[in-house]
Amino acid sequence: MRNHVLASSALLTAALAFAPLAPAQDTPTARPGQVDQRPPSVYQKVAEAGPGGPAPIHDLNGFWNGPLEPKFADTPSLTPLGQAKFKLNIPDPFSAHSNDPWRTCDPFGFPRSATNETRGLAFATMPQGIVIMTQYNKTWRMVWMDGRELPKNVGTRGGPSSRWYGYSVGHWDGDNTLVVETTGVDDKTWIDRRGYPHSVDMHVEERYMRVDRNDLELTVKIDDPKMYTKPWIVVTNKFKFTPQQLEDEQLCVPSEAIDYLNTIAIPAGQDEVAGQK
Amino acid sequence: MRRGIVSGLFLLASFAISVPLFAHHGNAAYETSKAVVLKDATVTKFVWGNPHTFLMFDVKDEKGNVVHWAGEAGSPSSLGLLGWTKDSVQPGDVITVYIYQSKTGRPVGRLNRIVLADGTALKDSALGYREQ
Repeated sequence: MRNHVLASSALLTAALAFAPLAPAQDTPTARPGQVDQRPPSVYQKVAEAGPGGPAPIHDLNGFWNGPLEPKFADTPSLTPLGQAKFKLNIPDPFSAHSNDPWRTCDPFGFPRSATNETRGLAFATMPQGIVIMTQYNKTWRMVWMDGRELPKNVGTRGGPSSRWYGYSVGHWDGDNTLVVETTGVDDKTWIDRRGYPHSVDMHVEERYMRVDRNDLELTVKIDDPKMYTKPWIVVTNKFKFTPQQLEDEQLCVPSEAIDYLNTIAIPAGQDEVAGQK
Repeated sequence: MRRGIVSGLFLLASFAISVPLFAHHGNAAYETSKAVVLKDATVTKFVWGNPHTFLMFDVKDEKGNVVHWAGEAGSPSSLGLLGWTKDSVQPGDVITVYIYQSKTGRPVGRLNRIVLADGTALKDSALGYREQ
């Protein structure tokens, strides 16, 4: 651990002074020479469970436990329009001057519900498809599995309306991989907490691969030619099948978020201290 | 080590301007080298919010004037692992607060820990492991 700290960049060294600042709050990050006394997170505890046997076929049903945040993958290449939109987004929901919709608990939308706050995930089957549920803010998305196509011309006059969570269809690839395709997401939402933008015509592919009974791996790929010069993988993530199928309630409450801004974030003066106006 | 932390603070602050820092809880505003200790703090409000929990409490200063303080802590999921619950602290409780104060000098900051009247210590998930 000590060698890792010494070999890190200055930023990481500074970040360790205020552990944990890294998004992976599940990872103990004590200062050099200091023993981290925090108990393991739920995810860390279930991560020790083994494979639990082979993956059931075409079945993801139940609750899954994930880390606080997924791993970012590719660095996207923005088009000029994408660059212009990206500049308008000021991340950091803890800053008084951010315009992150998370500040006031606006819906994450999709794919942000898969790229931000990923501790809990659940699947259930419905007659014509699969419901994907995310623990954070108790969201659910319907994935039609009956062969219908994604809607076209979403957000245009006469076409279907855009939605915070868009429209999704899916199919099985082999025995154990659920492929979900989504489009028609309202372009107010951010792709992730870094503020990457998207158009309503963005096409997102999620691949959920059940490696064995207890392990699920996710890849989320963005294809949005208006904003990005080529498709890119925004995150990968790993989930463990939750023993006892427990779930937690995590809600972002607008009144509490506004109270936090007025009581803590603005008086604490984070931007003043950082030299911003 | 102290100098390392101070220069680390400025480094962090400058990075906050030029590079988006995806801190799940940013502590750049707080003086984290040493916690301020506030005894006989009377709790007025406890918000078990996600992703922000925070506590509001009143403390008398040297002149006997009541100062209204506010301190934030980790998310409920993180604090839950350390023994906190939604009902751990109630308005009216008299506690001792260890807090990293805002560098602006205002009575606001990030909790290191609180100690309840019965002696129970509830530590923050980020910095509460530090003995102050």
